[in-house]
Amino acid sequence: MKKKDSLTPFTLLMLLPGVGFIIFFIGSSIVLTILQSFGLFSIMGNSTLTLGYWKAILNSREALDSLLFSLKMGVLSSLGTVMVAFPLALFFRKSGQGKGMLGSLIKIPLFIPALVAAFLILNLISYHGLINTILMRLSIIKEPLRMLNDKFGWGVVMIQVWKNLPFVLLILMSAISSIRDDTIDAAKNLGAGYFSILFRIYIPLAMPGILVAMILMFIKAFGDFPITSVAGPVYPSSVAGRMQIMANLYQEWNQAAVLGVIIILTTFFVIWAYSRFAELVQGDN
Amino acid sequence: MLTAFFVLIQLLWVGIPILMAIMWSLVNPKDAWSYPNIFPPSFSLEQWRYVFNYTNIARALRTSYSVAPLAVLLSFLLSLPTSYVLGRKNIPGKKVFMLVVLLPMIMPGMVVALFLSRVFSMLGLSQTFFGLVIAHTLMSMPYMIRVMTTSFASIPQDVIDAAENLGASTFVKIKDIFLPMIRPGLIAGMIFAFTTSIEEFNLTFIIGTPTFETIPTILYSFMGYNFIRTNASVVSLLMMTPNIIMLFIVERFLKSDYLSASLGKM
Repeated sequence: MKKKDSLTPFTLLMLLPGVGFIIFFIGSSIVLTILQSFGLFSIMGNSTLTLGYWKAILNSREALDSLLFSLKMGVLSSLGTVMVAFPLALFFRKSGQGKGMLGSLIKIPLFIPALVAAFLILNLISYHGLINTILMRLSIIKEPLRMLNDKFGWGVVMIQVWKNLPFVLLILMSAISSIRDDTIDAAKNLGAGYFSILFRIYIPLAMPGILVAMILMFIKAFGDFPITSVAGPVYPSSVAGRMQIMANLYQEWNQAAVLGVIIILTTFFVIWAYSRFAELVQGDN
Repeated sequence: MLTAFFVLIQLLWVGIPILMAIMWSLVNPKDAWSYPNIFPPSFSLEQWRYVFNYTNIARALRTSYSVAPLAVLLSFLLSLPTSYVLGRKNIPGKKVFMLVVLLPMIMPGMVVALFLSRVFSMLGLSQTFFGLVIAHTLMSMPYMIRVMTTSFASIPQDVIDAAENLGASTFVKIKDIFLPMIRPGLIAGMIFAFTTSIEEFNLTFIIGTPTFETIPTILYSFMGYNFIRTNASVVSLLMMTPNIIMLFIVERFLKSDYLSASLGKM
């Protein structure tokens, strides 16, 4: 058991530049968000403590539509990436020839910035883009598919999956690598078929990793701004987009703050729900 | 063989989008490329010339590449003492500090961007170069701290004890033990910090525009109302290339521990 060092003034001083810097700037912006949502520290007009802005947002059709849309994007993006990444992660379980290069190729989108990824995929899925052109040439469809700026948001989901696949894959790979071979062999010995092994061993044992990946993806996709504003539908915008419009266009900073608090609360709620669920699962072990 | 199949799929999955961007950036303005052509009818460097001559790309490049090194330097200086404590001392509340360090990564980007810009306005940092550097430093620090903490933690205690036995002063310890031994982690951290700064959009968009343009914000402007596909292609390629080069450097020379640590593996 390593001896515990105490928090001397010296250690605190050493922690100050890094941790202090982060706490100061992130802390002040979060505190300001919360205060402004309740009407304090207003930039224009009076600063009074009021729930009026909260009422305004909760009654606003546009805000609720944006919230639902972002939730939808979060869920679909996290499900989509995990469903594509999981089989790949299973494939990578055993090392083999050529898998190194495959690994590097797969990791490329990780190093491509979100906006660039949005543009690259947007190019392909746009109304006169490559995918539609090929599908029409092959006579698979009569009319181009609207995959970009569509009402549902498929364009956004596709970009999120493409861009975040490596990220999720890395997480899932480490989760799956911890599953011992003897477990799999024992199951095969007892006559388990492929699907049985998949659903009864791989998925449950990799569940912590799957959950982490889904949580992180959800948070990313829920709070996204640039990808949705470029590839998403004209209406509704993402919650972050709506917040930005409220602030910069309408100068309604207090209402924007309410949306900001909603985004923060959702993020924290999801993280909290995950850690409670993880505790529950660990408890069973 | 299954691997070969996946490699092919992956080449298409990653290669086609990039190839399309390359082709769009090389379209000859005299020979428009549209349906039903699969490839542009002819190539030319005209688009590149246009972007460099008629848009603010040069200014954006200058801003991006001058903010990034400063942000890396500042985040290194600020992270160094913190990583030392978090890596080598077993202080109470360490877990809490490690979580706080991750805040810039977890907190929703646009929320922080909007309201940090208000804080900056109050501090007089809005629309300033220094404000941009601070914002970029803030976003880079989680990576820096996490990677350097891992490096510090992996220095064997016996080496330090041996040096102390031989009478090494603190200055010598720092110079000859700590700094050299954290160097791989440091390089990884600097690469991630640099890349984060180059790609940073949300904060730069709110705090810097319109006074300052960086590559991401100028790309965004080419994708909004002003959707000019060819301009966007050129800027995208400009943005991607240093990143992909860094990817190969990271893959070849550094251990994958750093990659995982910086991605915030929980």
